[in-house]
Amino acid sequence: MTILIGYVPTPVGEAALEAGLTEAAARGDDVVIVNSPRRGATVDADLVDEAAAAKLVARAAEAGVNARVDHTTHGADVVETFDGLVASTGARLIVIGLRRRSPVGKALLGSDAQRILLDAGVPVLAVKPTA
Amino acid sequence: MDVNAFLDGFGLVTEPQNLLYCLIGVLVGMLIGVLPGLGPAATIAILLPITYSIDPVSAIIMLAGIYYGAQYGGTITSVLLRLPGEASSVVTVFDGFALAKQGKAGTALGIAAIGSFVGATVSILGLTLVAPLIAGWALSFGDPEYAALALLGVLLVATIGNGNKLKAMLAAAFGLLLATIGRDSFSGAERFTFGSLQLTEGIDFVVVAMGLFGVGEILYNLEERHGKPHVPAAVANIWPSRKDLKQSSGAIGRGSLIGFVLGVLPGGGAVMSSLAAYATEKRISKHPERFGRGAIEGVAAPETANNAAATSSFIPLLTLGIPANASMAMLFGALLILGISPGPQLVEERPDLFWGVINSMYIGNLILLVLSIPLVGIFVRILRVRPAILAPITALITILGVYTINNSTFDIFVMIVFGLIGYLMKKVGFEPGPMVLAFVLGSIVEDGVRRSMLIFDGDPTGFFTRPISGTILAAFVLVALWPAAKAALARRKAATVAAAPAERDDADTPTR
Amino acid sequence: MSDERTPTPEPGQDILAEIQAEVAHELEEERPPAGGPAYQVVGALVALVVGLGGVVLSYGYGLGSPRQPGPGLWPFVVSIAITLMAVALLVVGRTLTDSEKVTRSSVLPAVGLLTFIVLALLMPVIGFEIPSLLLCVVWLRFLGGESWRSTIITSILTVAAFYFLFLYGLRIPLPHLF
Repeated sequence: MTILIGYVPTPVGEAALEAGLTEAAARGDDVVIVNSPRRGATVDADLVDEAAAAKLVARAAEAGVNARVDHTTHGADVVETFDGLVASTGARLIVIGLRRRSPVGKALLGSDAQRILLDAGVPVLAVKPTA
Repeated sequence: MDVNAFLDGFGLVTEPQNLLYCLIGVLVGMLIGVLPGLGPAATIAILLPITYSIDPVSAIIMLAGIYYGAQYGGTITSVLLRLPGEASSVVTVFDGFALAKQGKAGTALGIAAIGSFVGATVSILGLTLVAPLIAGWALSFGDPEYAALALLGVLLVATIGNGNKLKAMLAAAFGLLLATIGRDSFSGAERFTFGSLQLTEGIDFVVVAMGLFGVGEILYNLEERHGKPHVPAAVANIWPSRKDLKQSSGAIGRGSLIGFVLGVLPGGGAVMSSLAAYATEKRISKHPERFGRGAIEGVAAPETANNAAATSSFIPLLTLGIPANASMAMLFGALLILGISPGPQLVEERPDLFWGVINSMYIGNLILLVLSIPLVGIFVRILRVRPAILAPITALITILGVYTINNSTFDIFVMIVFGLIGYLMKKVGFEPGPMVLAFVLGSIVEDGVRRSMLIFDGDPTGFFTRPISGTILAAFVLVALWPAAKAALARRKAATVAAAPAERDDADTPTR
Repeated sequence: MSDERTPTPEPGQDILAEIQAEVAHELEEERPPAGGPAYQVVGALVALVVGLGGVVLSYGYGLGSPRQPGPGLWPFVVSIAITLMAVALLVVGRTLTDSEKVTRSSVLPAVGLLTFIVLALLMPVIGFEIPSLLLCVVWLRFLGGESWRSTIITSILTVAAFYFLFLYGLRIPLPHLF
């Protein structure tokens, strides 16, 4: 089976990757590392380039996991992208990192993580970065 | 050259108000050079309403700063994202991005900034020395010379600019026709007004410019353009080494000259000079295979040239009153709004404006040199903002701005109409630039031609018998027929090459 | 300058040509596909109509004589030039590829244009704040694909900024409700 790992090059994303790889190695799953840039922006700081993506795949291989990196863009709703990938890969789990957000911050800027937690069609493993 | 006026110009520029407007201008210029979508001509068009409310010298200083500032900004995206921010930075992409991939983005940006500064400064020095001379010489021009010169300017923009030549000339001719709308100054007859009172005074240039360039570009950018998000290359080392500087010194020197010369040509300007400078460096280099792989000259040459050209393209405007490209046409219009008629008399009538603008460029380029590197990080962060968010802000600036000119909603509607025209033109492959330029020059050309006809007592050959206008018109004919001649030559060459394929293995000597 | 584009079999040249092609390809990818000959013909026909119209109208204004040019002479000459060039374009222009197809996303500029018209109509009546807010909402939500939260926050911030900028900062009068 497959699991999706939502990855951004931050401590939060790293935590998600670690947890996701451990889970996948334990159950023998394949991994799709979802590094989805926001559509329309010229520069997306969360996007990883090809060299970094290759390193991620290599890291997964070291852990004994077969992985690939997916760069499907997302629009205003990131859940759509994840749902689409769940449908196309038959993933059974989504692993994402959780970041601390104040209520005001969530009201103004929204929280992709919260949306995925609430709206995704498959179980979600939310990982907090080790302090 | 009047040294006193030159020095007075510096006194004017260093007034805090003008320094502030210079700073704003170059910052805005750099910003739109970095951001995809709007170019300097469109931005100047959109900000034209400001000229109504601030001091003339400050206004022109700011608008000029936008133009040459944009040349600095376009480099950033070329080097870091492999995305040319401005057409004149396309060539920088090749070696600039290659350097960035090698971890030397800072070197590329630093050399580009230094080269840009040197190129611009050399060009301003040239401008300082040459401009008064040309203006003095041009004072002896009569109406026939003017008409011929304006016509040549329009033609050069149409043919040397990008896009299909025939369509550009069509757009220009249409612009000339648009300029005739309104009451004829010679006879008082109303032309093409169709009974509308609003059209009797002719169409306001600002509204046309804001519509064609401002609204037209905004609408064009709305359409889905599937740009992929990019990962910016990291800027690790900041300053180029002494070795890099030494290696690029030749390229910078040559680039300055190439840029200065080509910038004066109407329609040539920054794009052509960046290409020419790059090609020159490659041709004379002992190791041309380095180019495209991170040759520092490949960044230094085009960046120097495009800034030199951007500066020298002010010369035709300030000395002859002929705008060399679309941005200059906007400045021409701004001067008209301020009640100043550009031409050779500008040096004498408004030395404060003439020298104020020129001297502001020294300072503006210094500001750009100092600020461009530290601000790279900020600009990359600004690029993270989605264009969809910036679009309505630009739209509101444009539409509210045009209202403030005359407090008239009729102006808004005219602007909308021209915005639609501009958008449709781009969809069908016509460039709006030549049309705006021709519109701006239209009345000059027509008045010049009609007055000349009165002088010649109806004999059009008078244009050719006068030495200066004759030469200008000869150049006109040459430029007009050049594309057709080139096509015919190319076809003949293809025929001979096809007939003798065995000879193609020999060294291919370029035909020029 | 054209030498740069002439393909010469040089060692490093293929990489340069590669990058050049890639840059051109990337820039091309972003634009809608090229329109067909129909677009070129339409463009040429419009130019032809304008030219002929100009010829007829300017003739009516009186050409005068070369000695005493009438008001119609110059527009007449220009219109003749337009007409000739339009005919030339009709003949040779069909194979050009510089037009862009009208795709489904062309609805976006049309809607944008409509919002401009609505703003121009409504502004003198109810001030600029509400029409501007509407424009922002339409552009952000419908033309820009932003979420509702982002749309509302950005719209309010933008209109507020313009309010303070124009009315207090620059002191330029705009018809306003508040």
